[in-house]
Amino acid sequence: MDLSQYAELFLAEAREHLSVCNQLLLEWERHPEAREPVGGLFRAVHTVKGMAATMGYARVADVAHRAENLLDALRRGTTVVSDELLQLLFRTVDVLEQAVELSAVGREGELDVAGLAAELERAGARLAPAPGRAATSAPAAVPAPALGQTADVAAGRLVEVALRAEAPLKGGRALVVLRKVAALGGVAAVSPPPAAFEAEEFDGRFAFRLQSSADAVAIARAIRSAGDVEEVTVDADKSAAPLVEGTAPDGSRARHLRVDLRRLDALMDLIGELVIARGRLNEVAAVRRDPAIDDVAIQVSRLSNELQAEIIQARMTPVWQVFDRFPRLVRDSARQLGKQVAFRVEGKEIELDRTILDELGDPLMHLLRNAVDHGIETPAERQRAGKKAEGEIVLSAVRERSRVMITVSDDGRGVDRTKVLERARRDGLVDAHAEALTDDQLLRVLARPGFTTAETVTSVSGRGVGIDVAMTRLRALGGTLEVRSELGQGTSFVLRLPVTLAIVRALIASVGQERYALPLTYVAETVELGVAPTTTVEGREAIVLRERVVPLVHLRQLLEVADAPLPARRPVIVLEMGERRTGLVVDSMLGQQEIVVKSFDAPQGTLPLFSGATIMGDGVPALILDAGGLL
Amino acid sequence: MSHTVLVCDDAIFMRTMISDILAQAGFEVVGEAETGTQAVDLYRQLKPDLVTMDIVMPDMGGIDAVREIVKDDPDAKILMCSAMGQQALVVEAIQAGAKDFVVKPFQPSRVLEAVQRVLG
Repeated sequence: MDLSQYAELFLAEAREHLSVCNQLLLEWERHPEAREPVGGLFRAVHTVKGMAATMGYARVADVAHRAENLLDALRRGTTVVSDELLQLLFRTVDVLEQAVELSAVGREGELDVAGLAAELERAGARLAPAPGRAATSAPAAVPAPALGQTADVAAGRLVEVALRAEAPLKGGRALVVLRKVAALGGVAAVSPPPAAFEAEEFDGRFAFRLQSSADAVAIARAIRSAGDVEEVTVDADKSAAPLVEGTAPDGSRARHLRVDLRRLDALMDLIGELVIARGRLNEVAAVRRDPAIDDVAIQVSRLSNELQAEIIQARMTPVWQVFDRFPRLVRDSARQLGKQVAFRVEGKEIELDRTILDELGDPLMHLLRNAVDHGIETPAERQRAGKKAEGEIVLSAVRERSRVMITVSDDGRGVDRTKVLERARRDGLVDAHAEALTDDQLLRVLARPGFTTAETVTSVSGRGVGIDVAMTRLRALGGTLEVRSELGQGTSFVLRLPVTLAIVRALIASVGQERYALPLTYVAETVELGVAPTTTVEGREAIVLRERVVPLVHLRQLLEVADAPLPARRPVIVLEMGERRTGLVVDSMLGQQEIVVKSFDAPQGTLPLFSGATIMGDGVPALILDAGGLL
Repeated sequence: MSHTVLVCDDAIFMRTMISDILAQAGFEVVGEAETGTQAVDLYRQLKPDLVTMDIVMPDMGGIDAVREIVKDDPDAKILMCSAMGQQALVVEAIQAGAKDFVVKPFQPSRVLEAVQRVLG
């Protein structure tokens, strides 16, 4: 059998399990007396071992096997895990992460794991001197969940239920499940006991005995109708495989299929083409005025809308897939720097297009490292400032209409604006007479490539490092970055991103002979020039909108389109990003429509005003204006 | 005929939001209560097809209101509205007779799914 075709699948799944290992280790480090992490670790490492062995990656399998033995001993023992052992396990997970990557590209030979393997072996032997343990004799089966064992004694059919990981208040949901199933027969031997449902830690896995002669599918359907059910196994002690059922009324996502991302990309491209063709069809239909063509056009529109919504949904990925590696990063950085940091992640279930999410990892990593390094003070400093010795960093994701807002905030020392201002004045980044920096200006200063060097601003040294990189990445994704900082209180970086990249609603405006698209995400409103009062501020033309001055930019001038006689009343598109607003004057407005974003390599000499291109319904391309650049 | 709903929550904001979600889905919001006592009184008067019940309300909490309502009408269809971290309270509410629950912040689709489950 050709295994190479499974390499990617192996890699994707192994990464997930190792990411889980990291999280569990962090939890265990915080609560060394806890019993839950070791069980999860054991299962994850065990799974990696089994997959690696199947793929023939002997070194991965060997390290995983020894780690599994050590974990098994820890799991069965009563001793509280030592810091030394935890550090060994952290290193093991690091090595495994590296090992799976190398193995998947056929470079397993470069690995030297003998030292680590010996260390794991010694540590395992110290804990479990008894020879010939079941787990030491290679491929052990995954231990049956404790649930099934306790329920064995009672009469009735064993039913195991797992609720969706993202389901809120799993205990309440479990009770709803039991209520639904009670309609089919007597329920007994609920495990864990219902009292455990009240605990926040309840993980959503439970089992019970059901006295019913209903067929398994009917039982599963009743259980699924309670909502938030991931997996149901009826007669769990008889059949090994969970009963997979098709779409349940609550749309439960019982069946998953891994799909190569490139396939999804290709599909997205094709649908993009379809949307363009649909635009043409609609134009043709409008010209022909033939009822038969109209009918088809409407039907095609509806179908392609549905198709588009489906594929966009299929590309959506919860942010935890990227966020989950950060607790480890923050912990490692903090340890290295002698800082104490509590790290919290909020809104893990918020979804973003896979492509955007993948691009987010690095910018967020920069911001988090900065927060640990330059935001959070040393414990001694914090105590002198009357704060808790342990600093806090929060990474949160929140959905706001068609965007997702991601915030990285710390309760550290904040940016010393007077010092940054001094430096900014010296470098001519702000007016020599400027007295204070707004958050906006602060960000622009911080994001200057190489703005900070060690000898400049001690309290913010290095704040600039990575921020320029992060900003560039975000802009390329159509996102924005803002900073808020309060001296002594902390700093927050706020990222705003579109939920999806490929198809967006845009305003279509014209200047001269050309049409331009402007994504609606950044459009606050449109007004008319010549109606709103015009003024001049610092030599720039501006309009006054509800007592706020909005500077104007003439797209005609920006694009260097020759002057032509134009009506005095022209549309102004007001763009908004955070606190910044700019009015964009165009010749005329052609309406709103969905556009398919095509990235393009701007030819040399192109003005840095465009973020991409699109094809209009008549087949003529139009450029997409970059709102970030215009602001 | 559309289903009738009684919305119980001490916050006007929440009541408005829930009412909007349900009204847009074709339900008829026949009453709003801002305390548990009001909820019990209105239930007796209006006999709605569905009740949405906040857990924490002044004078009589949502769970006690569920107990009172279910005492009168064991078939009452009550959907609890809870917040994250109220696991124990939700469990108590279900034991008291609530049929299902949704968790704030509300997503309309989740609310409607839960409503369908309760009515279905």
